[in-house]
Amino acid sequence: MSLEMTYLIASNVVIWLGIGGYVFYLAAVQKKLERKLEQLEELSHEQ
Amino acid sequence: MKNMQVNANKNSNLSLAGALVLAGGAALALSQYFIWIHAPVEVTMGLVQKIFYLHLPAAWWGMICFFIVFCASIGFLLRRSPAMDQLAASAAEIGLLYSTMALATGSLWARVSWNTWWTWDPRLSTALIMWFIYAGYLVLRQSIDNRRKMRMVAAVLGIMAFLNVPLVFLSARMWRSIHPAVFASEGGGLEPEMLTTVIVCVVSLGLLTAGLLMFRFRQKNIQERVLDLYRH
Repeated sequence: MSLEMTYLIASNVVIWLGIGGYVFYLAAVQKKLERKLEQLEELSHEQ
Repeated sequence: MKNMQVNANKNSNLSLAGALVLAGGAALALSQYFIWIHAPVEVTMGLVQKIFYLHLPAAWWGMICFFIVFCASIGFLLRRSPAMDQLAASAAEIGLLYSTMALATGSLWARVSWNTWWTWDPRLSTALIMWFIYAGYLVLRQSIDNRRKMRMVAAVLGIMAFLNVPLVFLSARMWRSIHPAVFASEGGGLEPEMLTTVIVCVVSLGLLTAGLLMFRFRQKNIQERVLDLYRH
């Protein structure tokens, strides 16, 4: 594989990892948020 | 009943954002065909020129996100609406991510073309300053506990920070820069297949940006409401 090809693939990896990482972060935040909402719902039912 | 309607609207907004993210992801995957197969290999730079199709959309959409921060910050100062602050925060996050990707892909391109990872060229330097300003903006948002004060400070910084953005865009034209100013000449000096590839890549990342921004904005909105409920 040529050096140029390696750098082009590396650039693709940067883009996909960046976007993928951010989407995973958003998914993790969303999951945490849903857990908190469930807790709040349980609390309101208890009251 | 009203609460149920609000929840339904929130869910539909999140679904639309999710659909946009998926469409953007699919379009970005499709743009790989344009990058690798449709676009011809540039004669002087060879394969490494194709990094441009990834670098340019990231840099442009990053700057557009910072423009959204600027507008939302003005909106916040005029209307004191928390939603405007949440929009500014979401756009700053995505803009910083794209700027990071633009700096990293640019550095990879520079390694092959200029034989160096980094040089203190006006375009590169102003882009790095922009990155630090917006990273600082996000750190500042986390470091002030009083939310009213934080929103105010962030809005002022969101406006001030944007002063550097046009400078990044114009730096390659204004000063002696080794960074190519792609669309400086009429038509951009690009072959039709190259131009099509640029358009496809810019539109794909645009779709993804719209989805991510919408999703993060709604998420921040819900996060703040949950925080309010915990506090009361």
